[in-house]
Amino acid sequence: MPTLTIDNQQVTVPDGNTVFEAAEQLGIVVPHFCYHHALGAVGACRMCAVTVVEGSMPGMKMSCMTPAEEGMVVETGTAQAEGFREHVGEWLMTNHPHDCPVCDEGGECQLQEMTIASGHGLRNYRGNKRTYQNQDLGPYVAQEMNRCIQCYRCVRTYQDYCGGRDFGAMGSRQRVFFGRFRDGMLESDFSGNIVDVCPTGVLTDKTFRFKTRLWDLEQAPSICPHCSLGCATVPGGRYRELQRVVSGVNLQTNGHFICDRGRFGSGYVNHPARPRHARAGGSRVSVTDAVDSLLRRISETVSQHGPEAVAMVGSGRASLEANLLLRQWAAELNCPPPVFELHPRRARAIRQTVGTLSDHLASLRQVRKSDLVVVFGADPLAEAPMLALALRQVVRAGGRVVVLDPRPVELPCEFEHHPLTQEKILCLLAGNCEKELFNRLLQDLMAARRPVLVGGGDLLGGVGLQLLGHLTESCDNDDRYCLVHPLLPQANSFGAGLLEGPEQTDLLERLESGRVRALICLESDPCSEHPEAGRMQLAISRLDYLAVFDYLPTHATKRADLLLPTTTPVEGDGVFINNEGRMQAFARVLQPGVPLAVTGQGNHPPREFVPATPGCHPRPAWQLLQQVLGDERTLHGLRQAAAEHESRLEGLSDLQPGGEGLRVMPSSQAPVEESTVEIWSQDGDLRLLPVQVRYGSDHASCLSDKLTPRMTGPQLIVHPQEAEKRQLKAGETVLLKTAQGTFRFPLACDERVVRGRVIVPCLPGTPLEILVPGGLSLPCEIEGEAP
Amino acid sequence: MAELLTAEQIDQFRAHIAHIEHPRELIIDLLRAVQDKHGWVPDEGVELVAGLLGLTPLEVEEIATFYYKIYRRPVGRYPIHICDSICCWSRGGEALAEHLQKSLDIAPGETSADGLFTLLPTCCLGVCGRAPAMMIGRESYGPLNNEDVDRVLAELRQEAQA
Amino acid sequence: MKQTAQLLFKNRRPGETVFLKEYERAGGYLGLKQALREMQPKQICELVKNSGLRGRGGAGFPTGLKWSFFPADKPAPKYLVCNCDEMEPGTYKDGELLQADPHQLVEGMIISAYALQADTGYIFIRYAYREQFANLQRAIAEATEAGYLGKDILGSGFSFELHVHGSAGRYILGEETALLNGLEGVRPNPRSKPPFPAVRGLFGRPTTVNNVETLSNIQHIVTGGAARFRDLALTVDGAGTKLYGLSGHLERTECFELPVGISLREIIDEYGGGVWRGRRFKSCLPGGASTPFLTSADLDVQLDYQTLEAVGSRFGTGGVTVFDDRTCMVAATLNLIRFFARESCGWCTPCRDGLPLVAWLLEKIEHGDGTRDDLQLLKSQYSNISGNSFCALAEGAMGPVDGLLRHFEQELVDHIEKGRCPFS
Ligand SMILES: Cc1cc2nc3c(=O)[nH]c(=O)nc-3n(C[C@H](O)[C@H](O)[C@H](O)COP(=O)(O)O)c2cc1C
Ligand code: SF4
Ligand code: SF4
Ligand code: SF4
Ligand code: FES
Repeated sequence: MPTLTIDNQQVTVPDGNTVFEAAEQLGIVVPHFCYHHALGAVGACRMCAVTVVEGSMPGMKMSCMTPAEEGMVVETGTAQAEGFREHVGEWLMTNHPHDCPVCDEGGECQLQEMTIASGHGLRNYRGNKRTYQNQDLGPYVAQEMNRCIQCYRCVRTYQDYCGGRDFGAMGSRQRVFFGRFRDGMLESDFSGNIVDVCPTGVLTDKTFRFKTRLWDLEQAPSICPHCSLGCATVPGGRYRELQRVVSGVNLQTNGHFICDRGRFGSGYVNHPARPRHARAGGSRVSVTDAVDSLLRRISETVSQHGPEAVAMVGSGRASLEANLLLRQWAAELNCPPPVFELHPRRARAIRQTVGTLSDHLASLRQVRKSDLVVVFGADPLAEAPMLALALRQVVRAGGRVVVLDPRPVELPCEFEHHPLTQEKILCLLAGNCEKELFNRLLQDLMAARRPVLVGGGDLLGGVGLQLLGHLTESCDNDDRYCLVHPLLPQANSFGAGLLEGPEQTDLLERLESGRVRALICLESDPCSEHPEAGRMQLAISRLDYLAVFDYLPTHATKRADLLLPTTTPVEGDGVFINNEGRMQAFARVLQPGVPLAVTGQGNHPPREFVPATPGCHPRPAWQLLQQVLGDERTLHGLRQAAAEHESRLEGLSDLQPGGEGLRVMPSSQAPVEESTVEIWSQDGDLRLLPVQVRYGSDHASCLSDKLTPRMTGPQLIVHPQEAEKRQLKAGETVLLKTAQGTFRFPLACDERVVRGRVIVPCLPGTPLEILVPGGLSLPCEIEGEAP
Repeated sequence: MAELLTAEQIDQFRAHIAHIEHPRELIIDLLRAVQDKHGWVPDEGVELVAGLLGLTPLEVEEIATFYYKIYRRPVGRYPIHICDSICCWSRGGEALAEHLQKSLDIAPGETSADGLFTLLPTCCLGVCGRAPAMMIGRESYGPLNNEDVDRVLAELRQEAQA
Repeated sequence: MKQTAQLLFKNRRPGETVFLKEYERAGGYLGLKQALREMQPKQICELVKNSGLRGRGGAGFPTGLKWSFFPADKPAPKYLVCNCDEMEPGTYKDGELLQADPHQLVEGMIISAYALQADTGYIFIRYAYREQFANLQRAIAEATEAGYLGKDILGSGFSFELHVHGSAGRYILGEETALLNGLEGVRPNPRSKPPFPAVRGLFGRPTTVNNVETLSNIQHIVTGGAARFRDLALTVDGAGTKLYGLSGHLERTECFELPVGISLREIIDEYGGGVWRGRRFKSCLPGGASTPFLTSADLDVQLDYQTLEAVGSRFGTGGVTVFDDRTCMVAATLNLIRFFARESCGWCTPCRDGLPLVAWLLEKIEHGDGTRDDLQLLKSQYSNISGNSFCALAEGAMGPVDGLLRHFEQELVDHIEKGRCPFS
C-alpha cells in the first residue's frame, strides 16, 4: 500500500495501482484515451503523461503505465507534461474531420473533452486528411471511421473483454481500420458496448441516430429489466419515446458493460399495443373512476363470497414497492396473501434462493473474480447474458469454467461442457449418479480459492438449488465460502420471493375449484407464466372479475374487466432486487405518454387536441395501489416503513438510483425442505425441454422490434442421433407431439445437446409461448410430416 | 491462377497444424503459400486460411493487412518493389523509380496494361551495398541504371510470352 | 589496410555459400563440441559476460547481462529467438553473413541455447531474404542430420530444435516484442515491458531474443576465449569485431568485418574507397537509419558504443551510410522520416500521427514553403516525440531529426529564406 504525493496531495493506494489510478482516487483526472477502467492500461495514446519528480524513474512518464511507489512525488501540471499532452491532442486531431456539428457523439464526446483538457487549440497541419470508407456493421452500430483516434478501445472491448471474433483492427500506421472482414451485422451478443467505449463519434448507436442531440436527451440511472442480473443502465429518451439504453456503471454487478438484449430490448416502452387507458367493463374511464370501481367490485366480492374469493398475483416484473403494497392490500382485505410467482417450480427455486442460499450469494463481480465456476443447468447467454461475460473474465484471468447442462451451451470463452439431462444433474447433486464427475468437481471446488457455483433456477428448481446450497457448504472452508450465483426468471424475482408467504395451493387449483371469484394481477400474466397455459386460460375465463395492472399488452390485459395501465421501469421510480439479493433503485427517465413518433408517424405532432398528454394514464403500480389503499406516504416513507417492518430490507430507504445497491440481509429462518420427487433418473424415452433463448423469450424484449434481426425463429434442437433414429433430417419440418398439443417446426441437430431431449425455445407471441420454461421435462415425440 | 492451394498443400498444412501446439503461428506461412500459388491473397484465400487454422476471417485479415508483402489486392505477374529508402535514394533511386513509371506507363501502386507488372515502392530491401535496388517477386536486382531496368523488364516480358 | 582477424567472415567468398562440409573443414562445430563436452551452461554465460559482447541488433545491450535474466530454473518450453528482420535502411550485414556462412548462426544458436537451457529456437527472417532463408533451411537440415541439432545432441543429453520463420515485410517486426507477436501469429504491435521476454516471451514462456551477428559470435568466444575477443576491439571498453555495411556516397559499398573501434575516417577512406566521384564528405549515419548524423568534425571518432554516444550518435547496427557535400540534409531526413512514418505499427500516437506531421513539415520546408514558425514546430515535434513513444521505433525516427537540428539547422534556415531547396 504505497503512499505517494500527487499535486501536493497525499494518497495511499493498493499495491499494483498505477499513478493514474492514484490520481483518480484523489479526484484528479489526468487526460486519457486508451485507459478504461474495465479494459486497463495499454499505454497507446500517450495522453496521460505526468512528471515524476521523485521516484525510482524520475521524469515525464505515462501515468497509466507507471506503478505507484512509496514516497513518489508526482506533478500533473508541469510545463513539460502539459506541453506534451497538448502535442498528443494535436496529433490525434491531425486527421479528425472537425464535423462536430453533425456528429452523433456531440454532447458526450470524450475527444472534445480531452482535447480541451490537453490544451490543444490550433491545428498546424494543413495537408490533406486521411479518409476512410465506412462499413455497414449491421443494424446496431454505425461507423464513421474518419473520426477515429485509434485508441483501440473498441477492439479491446469487443475481442478481449467480450470475446467477439468478427470485429477488429486492420491495417497499420496512420491507416488502422476498425471493422469487420466484410459488411454485416456484428455477431457478438455484447456488440453495443463498443458504442459506449468509443470516445468519439466513430461507433454510434445506429438505432438512435439522428433522434436527439445529447443535451436534449432525458436520462436517468436505471436497472435493466430483461433478466435477473439487474445490470445498471442509463436509458435516454425524448418526446416520450425511449430512444436508447447505454450501460451504467456498477462495479458490483455489470461493471461497465451490458448485453445487447438489455441495450436494444427496450422497444416495449414505445410499443403501440401497450395499454394506455384505464378501462372498466369494456369502456375507457379515468384512473380515479377505475380505482373506485375496482374497490367497489372487490368489496362486493368479499362481502358476497368472503375474502377467500379474492386472489392476488404479484410478480418479479413489478417493483418491490408495488409488490409490498399488494401484499398489504391482501392483508387488509384478509384474503390469502398474493402469489408472487405463478410457476410453482420457479417459485420454489426463488424460495430457496431467498432463503437457503442467502448467506452464500455471489455478486457478478465475485463471479468475475472467481478461479473456478461450475455452472449447473444454466445457459448464461440465454438466461443472464452478462453472466457469460463474467465467465469469460474468469477464463481470461486463468480460471476455469465447467458447465453441466443439456443444451448446446455457448460461451464467449473456453469451457468444459458436460451434456447432462436436467434429471441427471439433480441426481448428480444428490450424489446418486455421475459420481466420478461429481467427486472430481467436488475436489476441484475444495481446492479452488474463490469457487462459485452457478445454478439455473429454471432447470434446477427448488430441489436443485437446495442441493446446490448443501454443496456450497461442503466446499466452504475456514478461509473462504464457496459462493453461489443462482439465476432467477425475472428482474425482481428475488424481491417478489422475499414477500412470499408459506407455500399455498397452486393458484390454478384454487381457480379451478371455483372458490376464487376475483383475481387481481400485478404486472403478471397467468396465461403465459403458468406452466399449464391451457387450463389457466379456461379457469380465468370463468372468473367473475379480472383486474389487471400492467404496462405490457398480455392475455390478461386483453381479458381484463378492469385495466389499470402502469408505467414501465423507465417511467417511474422503484426498486428491484436482483438474483444475488441486491436491492437497486431505478429512477424515472420519461413521463409516460404515447411517443410522438407513434402518434404522428414520426414526423408530426399529435393530432388529438386535448389538454392532457395523449396516453398519459399509466402510473407507477405502487402509486395506483397507494390510491387503492388511501396511502399518502412518499416513496421514501414507503421504503422506510418497509425497512422497519421487514428486517431483511435494512437500508432500503437509503438507496440511491445509480449507486451500487445494497444486499438484503441473509435469511434467519430455517430452510424450507424441498420434496425430492424430482430426483429420478430417466433414460430411453424422448422428452421436451422448453427453454429461454437469447432474444425474445422475456416478455419485454419480445416486443422490441430493434431485436428482430437477432431473433432466431422457433426450432426444435435434438442430438443428431435422435434425428437419425427417427429418420429425420436437420432442416426439415417435423411434428412435435406433446400433452400440450402438436406443433410444426423445423428441426435442428446439434452434437452438444444431450441425448433424449428436444430443446424448444419459449417465444411469447408465438404458439410456443405455452411451453413455459422452468418445469421438469415433458414426454413428447417427434415425427416427420405425413407426406 | 484459380487455385489457392493444392490439395496436397492443404493436406500438408492440416497435418502440420494437427501436430503443433499453437497453429496460429502458421498464419504467415499459409498466407504466403496462398500468395505464392495464386499471385495474391483474395478474400477466399483469407477464408481458406481462417478455416484451416480455426480462426475467423477477420482474425486472419487483422494479420494479412498488417504486412506489406501480403498482397490483398491483385498484382501483376511480376510485382516490382522499388526501394525508396535512404541508401537507394542517395544513389539515384528516385530517378530509377521515375524511369520505371515511364517505361511501364503506370503510377506507383498500379499494374501495367499488359497485367505483367505492378509497381510497389518499398522500404529498404537489405541490399544497400547494391543501391539503387529493386526486387521483382523475391529476386533482388542492383545496382541498377535505366538500361539495366529496361533489360530486366524485356527479359521478363519475354519470359511471360514463352 | 591492416589485416583484421576474420571471425564471422572467415569463410566468405564472393558469390558462394559455405555449407556443412566446408564449414566443418574450417573448424566449424568445434565450438559446439567444446561447449557441450567441456562446459557447464553457467560457464558459457559467464564467459559471454566476460567477453564484453554487446547486442549487434542495434540497442547494444550487453549479451551476458541479458542472458543472466533468463530463468534457469523454469521448466520447458523456453525459447531462443534469433532476430534476422534486418529492415532498418542501411543495414544489410546479417543478410551478408547468412549469404556466406549460415552454419555459423546455427552453431551459435545451439551453443547459446545450451547456455540458456532453451529447448526450442526460432530464426525470424525477413521476407526479402529468400536465399538466406533457403541457406538456413539447408544448414538446419544438415546440422540435424549430423547430430548437431535435435534430441540428445552429440550424446550430451541436451536437445534443441530449430525453426525458421519467414516474415512478410514490416520493419517493426525487428522490435523484439513485436517479433514475438509476429511469431505467434497475432498483430505485431510491440508489447509493453515489463514483463520482459525473459519472464514472459514467446507463447508466454521465457524467451531471449538476439541478433544474428550476436549469436554468431558465441562459438568464437567459446573457442577463442573472452580475453581474445575483447582484444579484437581497438577501444578499451569495446570487444570483438563488427560487421560494417557501407552504403551511400562511397566508391565501394560493401560489408566488411572490422574491429570495433575502427575510426570512421579509416572505414571511409580505406574500405569505402573514399567519398564517390571525388566529392567531399558531408555527413553520415554511423549505424543505420535511426542513428543521428555525424559531420566531418567527427571523422576521427572510433566506431564503438560509448565513443559514438559521446558525439551524440549511436553505434546502432554498424551500417554506415555516407552523404557527399551535394546532399541536401533536409531531403535526406525527409526520406528517413517517411520510412519511419510508413513503418509505424499504428499503436501509439506520437509515432502514428506525430511522424507524418514531421514528414509534412519537412516536405514543406524542402519544397521551399517553410516558415520560421515551421522550424520552431519541427523542434517542438522533435522534443515531444523523443522519449515518449511506446517503443523505440519513433525514438529511432527522431535520431536523424536530432542530427539535422543540431548540425544542419542553417540548411533548414537556408531553405526557408531562399524559398527553395538550395541543392536543387
Ligand atoms: C523498430 C525496431 C527495429 C529493430 N529491428 C531489429 C532488427 O532488424 N534486427 C535486430 O537484431 N534487432 C532489431 N531491433 C532491436 C531488437 O529489439 C532487439 O533489441 C535485438 O534483437 C536484441 O538482440 P541483440 O541484443 O543481440 O542486439 C529493433 C528494434 C526496434 C525498436
Ligand atoms: S473506433 Fe472509436 S474506440 Fe475504436 S479506436 Fe477508433 S476512436 Fe477508439
Ligand atoms: S445481462 Fe440481463 S440485466 Fe444485464 S443487460 Fe443483459 S438482460 Fe439486462
Ligand atoms: S512507436 Fe508506437 S506506433 Fe511506432 S512502432 Fe512503436 S508502438 Fe508502434
Ligand atoms: S536502402 Fe535500398 S536496399 Fe537498403
